[in-house]
Amino acid sequence: MIEALLQVVLNGAASGGVYALVALGYTLVFSVLGVINFAQGALFSVGGYLTYLLMGGKIGVNGALPGWGLPAGLPFALALLLAAAGSGLIGLLVERLAFAPLRRRNAEPLLALITSLGAGVVLVNLLQLLMGAEGYAFPPSTNALAGLPAVLVIGGARIRTIQLLLLLISAAAVLALSLWLERSKGGRALRAVAEDATTAQLLGIHSEAMVRLAFFLSGALAGLGGGLIGVSVSLPGPYFGIGYGLKGLAVLVLGGLGSVPGAIAGGLLMGLAEALVPSAASGWRDALAFAILFAVLLLRPSGLLGRRTVEKV
Amino acid sequence: MTTYSPIERRQRGALRLAALLLAGIGALAWLGRSADPAAKPLPSGPLTLGAAIAFTGNANLYGQDQRMGLAVAERWAQQSAPGGRPVRLQLEDGASDEPSAIAAFNLLIRQGVIALIGPTLSQQAFAADPIAQRQGVPVVAPSNTAKGIPEIGHFISRVSAQSSVIAPLSIDEALRRDPALKRVAVFYAQDDAFSTAEVAIFQKVLAARGLTPITVQRTQLADNDFQTPITSALQLKPQLVVLSVQAVAGGNLIRQLRELGYQGQIVVGNGLNTPNIYPICQRWCDGILIAQAYSPNLNTPINRRFQQLFQQAHGDRPPPQITAQAFTAYQVLFEAIQRLQRRGGLTGVTLGKARANLMTELLSGTYATPLGPIAFSPEGEVLQDRFYVAEVRMDPDGRDGRFALVRQVTLTKSQEQERKP
Repeated sequence: MIEALLQVVLNGAASGGVYALVALGYTLVFSVLGVINFAQGALFSVGGYLTYLLMGGKIGVNGALPGWGLPAGLPFALALLLAAAGSGLIGLLVERLAFAPLRRRNAEPLLALITSLGAGVVLVNLLQLLMGAEGYAFPPSTNALAGLPAVLVIGGARIRTIQLLLLLISAAAVLALSLWLERSKGGRALRAVAEDATTAQLLGIHSEAMVRLAFFLSGALAGLGGGLIGVSVSLPGPYFGIGYGLKGLAVLVLGGLGSVPGAIAGGLLMGLAEALVPSAASGWRDALAFAILFAVLLLRPSGLLGRRTVEKV
Repeated sequence: MTTYSPIERRQRGALRLAALLLAGIGALAWLGRSADPAAKPLPSGPLTLGAAIAFTGNANLYGQDQRMGLAVAERWAQQSAPGGRPVRLQLEDGASDEPSAIAAFNLLIRQGVIALIGPTLSQQAFAADPIAQRQGVPVVAPSNTAKGIPEIGHFISRVSAQSSVIAPLSIDEALRRDPALKRVAVFYAQDDAFSTAEVAIFQKVLAARGLTPITVQRTQLADNDFQTPITSALQLKPQLVVLSVQAVAGGNLIRQLRELGYQGQIVVGNGLNTPNIYPICQRWCDGILIAQAYSPNLNTPINRRFQQLFQQAHGDRPPPQITAQAFTAYQVLFEAIQRLQRRGGLTGVTLGKARANLMTELLSGTYATPLGPIAFSPEGEVLQDRFYVAEVRMDPDGRDGRFALVRQVTLTKSQEQERKP
């Protein structure tokens, strides 16, 4: 009984950690601009492919440059960090192309949803053009990276080592970001812009720079998630990030729009809810997870840890 | 000058309006008729075959393989019938969902293709094929294996043998290797028409062989992480795992099953009949059993030619089944067009009539294809009697592999009948 429960907790935490990572990316942008960046799922895919290429992976026969690859691969940890930075830069590009022009024209926030969705579709299609639709395995050195057995048995429950590693890295990234937001000058400036951009500007904070920083960090988190999932389940095709992006979006709403602790709690709750679905009804996992989302929103429209917004008169 | 009373004026006005409306409707009907390419005379130039296959979406992995098969078929056609009726191929992205397949079919039909190849998924075929059927356009499905595809209508046919014929072969092979097998875990994608149809056949075969599934795990097409269903299934200690899912999910499932400690036999369905699974499940693919409708080992002139052309374009590797089936779809249409041309069935007829003649010609022919000799039933079902059981053998570095032939099976007429659902 305890073994089965522990298995559910481990299964839920493993997937919940990644959901939290994706949701945190949405949260950063939402808290600063009040809009959702629908290109987040595509940036997740970009991170996976960048990690693969930086580790010395070659482009497949259906890509634009078949057989092309870096002459030497980087170690996994360095490749993952650089891929996250690369995804962050592409996230910045998405901000410049899909969000900034609309912001300058004071356009409806709804339009930014559409432009970011368009940017996401373009990114995924570019990935398919460059890399082809085939799946990619990470170079064998990644498997040796852990130097650990493929599976760990904890209290009778089984978990793939890579998934535990994924959970730990996700937790470390979330913790580092939370500490940075709380304790550093840059983090406090970002929170100030999120609170009130005009007042922050009057206090000498460069709001535009903070918006760009939020997009960079958001893209980097998505890229990190993509790289980690890529190692865990390979890269099954350019569209693989879209599903995670949608799940992250649900977690964002479940946790409370713009709430960092909410994104983490929402991610873990969503992961656990999915893991709790009995095997006979495993096909209804998503339906149950979204039913929980629906129920939480009925009881707490602002999400688990979201703040209720007060309309100023 | 004649003067009319107000009532007469209204009556005359109403008559004029009615006449105008009738003329308008007539003009629209005539214009509509003349805009319908099926009503126009068949042009004397090259005939166009339309192919709606998945270049984007989750099924793009199959679409890529099909595109290679069609390109090879075009080269084969140019070389094999130099004086014949020229045929050009028009490709359209049918993507991986039903609306895109419908849109692609509609577009190609409006452009006046003589026949269609596609769509990639059975799920899409159930939505798009009725459109071709209503408009009398022949369809040859290269990869739809679900039950009920040819039954959509007279104009719908396929070269991909249905799962009920193929699926039992791999289960029989697993039992031959371990006659003591009893405990079977089944995984399938519940949101995919092909997988749900195939898994029903697998379950029927398991029951017929005295094997009871100890668990049936339902997954979804977009799933990549199978930690939860696998750990649930492994708690029941299965001796055989049967998978009916699409390639990407299947590759991941196999890898995660092995990583989580499953060491027994794995039998997979037709969705994993592509070398594209190798990079995903890597060394963990080794040893999986699959029944196939195509084998590169088949030593016939057309299969050797097909492989030669494929390898000229794509290097020294064996073509996948789905590529061979796409080649076959083009080949049967091309050969039927040439026969029809020789018989005069394409002379002085409208496009609509030419399409109908082509369908009749297609169903009446026999074909020597890379899949082996095939023909069609009057309903459009492929009649193929030669099948194969293969085992995946991965290279030592686990990065590439091949479907190694385990045995060739020639079904007798009674076996074919017995396996029909």
